[in-house]
Amino acid sequence: MEYLIGIQGPDFVLVAADNVAASSIIQMKHDYDKMFKLSEKILLLCVGEAGDTVQFAEYIQKNVQLYKMRNGYELSPSAAANFTRKNLADYLRSRTPYHVNLLLAGYDDTDGPGLFYMDYLSSLAKAPFAAHGYGAFLTLSILDRYYRPGQCRETENGLCSCFLNKRFILNLPSFTVRLIDKEGIRDLEKITLVYLFFSAAPV
Amino acid sequence: DFTGQENFGDNGKMKDYHYTGPVEHRFSPYAFNGGTVLAVAGEDFAIVASDTRLSEGYSIHSRDSPKCYKLTDTTVIGCSGFHGDCLTLTKIIDARLKMYKHSNNKTMTSGAIAAMLSTILYSRRFFPYYVYNIIGGLDEEGKGAVYSFDPVGSYQRDTYKAGGSASAMLQPLLDNQIGFKNMEGVQHVPLTKDKAVQLVKDVFISAAERDVYTGDALRICIITKEGINEQTLPLRKD
Amino acid sequence: MALASVLNSDCADFSFDTCQPFGFGSEPGQSSLGFEARSLDGLSFSVKSALSAGDEDGVERKIEFLHGTTTLAFKFQHGVIVAVDSRATAGSYIASQTVKKVIEINPYLLGTMAGGAADCSFWERLLARQCRIYELRNKERISVAAASKLLANMVYQYKGMGLSMGTMVCGWDKRGPGLYYVDSEGNRVCGDLFAVGSGSMYAYGVMDSGLRQDLNVEEACELGRRAIYQATYRDAYSGGQVNLYHVHSEGWTRISQEDVLMLHQQYKDQA
Repeated sequence: MEYLIGIQGPDFVLVAADNVAASSIIQMKHDYDKMFKLSEKILLLCVGEAGDTVQFAEYIQKNVQLYKMRNGYELSPSAAANFTRKNLADYLRSRTPYHVNLLLAGYDDTDGPGLFYMDYLSSLAKAPFAAHGYGAFLTLSILDRYYRPGQCRETENGLCSCFLNKRFILNLPSFTVRLIDKEGIRDLEKITLVYLFFSAAPV
Repeated sequence: DFTGQENFGDNGKMKDYHYTGPVEHRFSPYAFNGGTVLAVAGEDFAIVASDTRLSEGYSIHSRDSPKCYKLTDTTVIGCSGFHGDCLTLTKIIDARLKMYKHSNNKTMTSGAIAAMLSTILYSRRFFPYYVYNIIGGLDEEGKGAVYSFDPVGSYQRDTYKAGGSASAMLQPLLDNQIGFKNMEGVQHVPLTKDKAVQLVKDVFISAAERDVYTGDALRICIITKEGINEQTLPLRKD
Repeated sequence: MALASVLNSDCADFSFDTCQPFGFGSEPGQSSLGFEARSLDGLSFSVKSALSAGDEDGVERKIEFLHGTTTLAFKFQHGVIVAVDSRATAGSYIASQTVKKVIEINPYLLGTMAGGAADCSFWERLLARQCRIYELRNKERISVAAASKLLANMVYQYKGMGLSMGTMVCGWDKRGPGLYYVDSEGNRVCGDLFAVGSGSMYAYGVMDSGLRQDLNVEEACELGRRAIYQATYRDAYSGGQVNLYHVHSEGWTRISQEDVLMLHQQYKDQA
């Protein structure tokens, strides 16, 4: 089952997505990247119906890039989120709705970090933390319990613990983790099954 | 139910007297009219054969409705399945052949007709022609060619192929007698025309014994570079 | 290749099943291609659910597209190996044992066939045309990534309308060997090893145990052949012959075509 998560810190957003591309019961790919870079400091995470995910995310991605070319400046994370939502909402009432669940994470130089939750029914919410997929049931409660707006690095540990809890129920072997702050988007070390087992003790 | 079949019991099932929920009634533009077609390719000839029975369910509508349609001097098509679609399809093919001839001043080869038929069939991918087609003819080198199709246009070249209601009875026999399948230590002799014609007659007589949709008469079209020779052989009429 | 059989069931109390060579029901093939049932529901205008078809009476016509197949392709140091079986089934009837499931798109691109045979051959034919147009416009060969995306975008437009295809686009371009899995659900993923069809599980089993990056061409061919052979042995909907292709920097070459019956004898003698 697919899984996305995002957590906002005081000056950064941390996001993670699983790496599985499945077709029925077969895992076609184990290192599939579900994140789309919309601009220097905005990431779109996308899960849902096969085909729809890539088609919609790339459509949004190209339009955000087009906006920058036309206007000479980039969309802010909240503007990009509202643009995405509007598109999703319009398609929802069309003959070909996109069945995708999204997280949009970004860093705005004036507004700071931002994390937006969107689902296929085109609801939009700004949230300090958010998750999609069955994993969300497990991880949201953990974040409800432990999330503090001011926390920094240990967020990452929190994230790990979320995964860990997931790990034993659902069978996702690895996750891509990225951090967005004023410097831009940074890849963090992939969380793999092995890593999770080792980190089980301290967390 | 206007067919009256319920009077004889529905498969031994108990009739539902009680309301069991909404029942959907849908018009269906398809029927299955039975019939069997067969094509065999030889070194310098091709044979297309079909029975001439047209039936639907229990009743036989016609005893003289051959399913072989002559397309060109070197190509014959056999169509079975839904007779309405067979007619529509053969007429469309005929029209396209005329158009081709008028614009190119030559007749289409069997291979070209097969490729065209594939696209015609696929153009109705979401509302298919319910027709199993087999084309028999001579290729550009004068060799026998058989092309078999599924209802939505997938096709391939074969040396022999049976299609329609008794195809599963004919095909294994042909596999054995023409393809020499599952035979050890036999000489793979090339098929002669006389042997092929005799074989076609035999398999159809056998099919008429066991398939209710096959019978009445057998129409055989023998395609050689001299032209198309048609023969008719009576089959069981019961 | 009568992969599609148009079935009629309103003569249900008539011994129709036995007369009609293309019998009903073939669930294994359908689900194991990797398409979810949902997509099969809308197979056609009047089709409610091809999966729930079967022997129920009711005036409903079903058009079944069957995907009993095993196809596989994998990358290794000398390119891509493509191996497929050659059986076409319609219900339990074997419609053909000599299907060419490798579609030669052009001299350096191959596509494989699983799902609706007509769907695969039609769309890959159209892809061949698009690739040629690309060449003429851009004066260079199309990449495997771009070709696979053309195909994925074409079939994505028809998503939910009942197309059924699971194909691997294999080739060689500037980036070296290319291998993409594309299906009618809209999936398009790059990878080193794919198997598609009802026998794919069995093929994966053999492949995963024998695949190494340092295989030479001969070993790789033998691995692919063996994987398909084992799949045909276990999966009733796969069989016929094993067709083998090798894609390398010069384009593809056809390695072999062997009857499973002969391979069976050969492997038995070896053991």
